[in-house]
Amino acid sequence: MSTVKSNEIVLLQNIKKDYGQGNVVTEALRGVDLKLVKGDFTVMMGPSGSGKSTLLNIIGGLDRATSGKTIINGQDIGILSNKALSLMRLNNIGFVFQNYNLIPVLTAYENAEYVLMLQGINPLQRREKVMSLLQEIGLDGLENRFPRELSGGQQQRVAIARAVASDPQLVLADEITANVDSETAQSLLELMVSLNQNNKTTFLFSTHDPAVIKFAKRVIILKDGNISNEKLSSVEIEESTHK
Amino acid sequence: MMPKALMIIRIAWRSIWRSKRRTLISIFSIVIGTGLPTFTVCLGWGFYNGLIDDVARLMAGHVTYEHVEYRNSPSIDLWVDDIQAINSALNNNDEVLSTKQMVLLQGVAHTAKGAVGVSLMGIEPSKEISVSFLPDSIVSGEYLSQGDGRRAIIGNKLAERLNIKVGKKFVFTSNDINGELVEDLFRVKGIFKTGSSAFDSYVVQSDINFAREVVGLNSNATSQLGIIVKNPDNHDKILERWQNELASNDGVFLSWRQIMPDIATYIYMDRGSLVIIMIMLVILVQFTMFSTILMSVLERKREFASLLAIGTKHVELNLQIFFETLIFGLIACPIGSFLGVGALKWVEGYDISKLIEANPEDMSIGGFTMDPIITPFFSAPLILQISIIIFLLVLILGIVPMFLVSRISIVDELRA
Ligand SMILES: Nc1ncnc2c1ncn2[C@@H]1O[C@H](COP(=O)(O)OP(=O)(O)OP(=O)(O)O)[C@@H](O)[C@H]1O
Ligand SMILES: [Mg+2]
Repeated sequence: MSTVKSNEIVLLQNIKKDYGQGNVVTEALRGVDLKLVKGDFTVMMGPSGSGKSTLLNIIGGLDRATSGKTIINGQDIGILSNKALSLMRLNNIGFVFQNYNLIPVLTAYENAEYVLMLQGINPLQRREKVMSLLQEIGLDGLENRFPRELSGGQQQRVAIARAVASDPQLVLADEITANVDSETAQSLLELMVSLNQNNKTTFLFSTHDPAVIKFAKRVIILKDGNISNEKLSSVEIEESTHK
Repeated sequence: MMPKALMIIRIAWRSIWRSKRRTLISIFSIVIGTGLPTFTVCLGWGFYNGLIDDVARLMAGHVTYEHVEYRNSPSIDLWVDDIQAINSALNNNDEVLSTKQMVLLQGVAHTAKGAVGVSLMGIEPSKEISVSFLPDSIVSGEYLSQGDGRRAIIGNKLAERLNIKVGKKFVFTSNDINGELVEDLFRVKGIFKTGSSAFDSYVVQSDINFAREVVGLNSNATSQLGIIVKNPDNHDKILERWQNELASNDGVFLSWRQIMPDIATYIYMDRGSLVIIMIMLVILVQFTMFSTILMSVLERKREFASLLAIGTKHVELNLQIFFETLIFGLIACPIGSFLGVGALKWVEGYDISKLIEANPEDMSIGGFTMDPIITPFFSAPLILQISIIIFLLVLILGIVPMFLVSRISIVDELRA
């Protein structure tokens, strides 16, 4: 295996996704090719309905493509069983959702610890990891609060902590700033940038918000189920949005 | 593995208490579902056991020793001879309360009014006084005592049909052991009333020694040896052992069920209908619990989807749901049993004839009236059995929500 290849976290080849059957088929994705390498911080933009969530779900192994190849970490996940997919998600992928989706009956600490528990990490390591992570994301002192006792921004921080706690290869974030005010959104993005820089965590997230672009190392525009200009750099985007 | 299971239990436990009202409804329905059958079954079994005990003590005991062929043709020449050895062995047995010897003669009783077919029970008066309720059922005259000879007691219905009173005479005709016709004169010493019209119009009792004389049996011969055991519930096991250890070649130990098959059938039918009513009630109550559990799972579909998304296995989610129902059962079933027993303790000793202005015939099975004093059958195995059945039922109902969870589409739930 070449070094280049082992750096390739995501490799999509001609991914198509159709919803429905018969004559009411929606072509959500129409042949997407995409490559993400380790340490990427990629923002995916595009109008509503362009297929952002669909693409994230396929990369994360929550959904299956109608055709095309989905290779995560060198493994074609299209051929995996549901059980193996679930294991792949547990060990390689971190998810952050628009509406947090924390476990309501677990505290902030326990939510962040959850995935480590599933992985069977020993208690000492878990504690160390979760405490330092909660400190890093600015939640120390709130670890014993339940989600309903936290603000939206705080809940999203817990969700980010949960997603990165097990040091996954890839963190997928679908419009995670959509439910918070712009200041909170800014701080969440800064948090992810620092996680990206400090831990080399690879991020891919979707957004409607052009303000997000300035944090991106790379921007992808999705339009009508296809990537319209993959080579756009953040500078160019910034220029184009400021015109 | 352990910390993971503990975490799943923790999530299950907290999830249960997140919706207190629903949890209380579920627990309440299981409590009712356990307590009600416990109460009813123990109450019913108490009545049946009381009845069985009464009838067994009146007739030929919980276990009867008789000639092998006596069941097929209950004739006087099929007596068990020389039962002294068996009798004394049984009387030294810890499981035996008492034994009673009986000679049964079929015949006809005559008076000026007419002739009626009767069964003459030759009994040992002292034994009957200690085990049977018949001595307490005398409505006029007195019960028998040792050496009463020609004096007999008869049922009130038979007295009516023969038109005789205490102190009057009747003639009893029968066959002796050689098949010859024999006739003897009896004088009525007392009249009894058990409430069973079959018994009250058919049975005559006299001292066993005189009954033997009437048909020419020797003083060791007995038609039946009735055995009253201390614990009637396991008389089946005991009689099997006795059959192997004590019975002679032509003798057999039988259960009261074989001696009185019609009463046994009546009791089983009555018991069966009670059980069916209970099953229907339990199903009704369990349905409440089932729908609340189902609701609680359906409401959390999105939560389950996000757990699956971050790598939770289906089996782990199923375990969580299993623990939730397990906790319900573990809390509610013991409470239900406890309350059922408490309610039984509360009604114990109450005379239900005061409650229902019923005619005693309404409380009868196979002609024998049940004791109206509530005497529940407190049996730990029975109570535990009911509790465990309901507990397993709860767990089985918990499978349905598991099945629903296994069909959750993560993507659809998360988009919603
Ligand atoms: N389960 C489904 N059944 C039918 N059509 C679907 C389904 N899921 C998505 N679609 C369609 O696929 C297309 C892409 O949807 P997707 O949710 O990926 O868009 P998106 O870019 O995430 O939009 P938004 O920015 O609004 O979140 C849309 O036209 C949508 O209507
Ligand atoms: Mg979307």
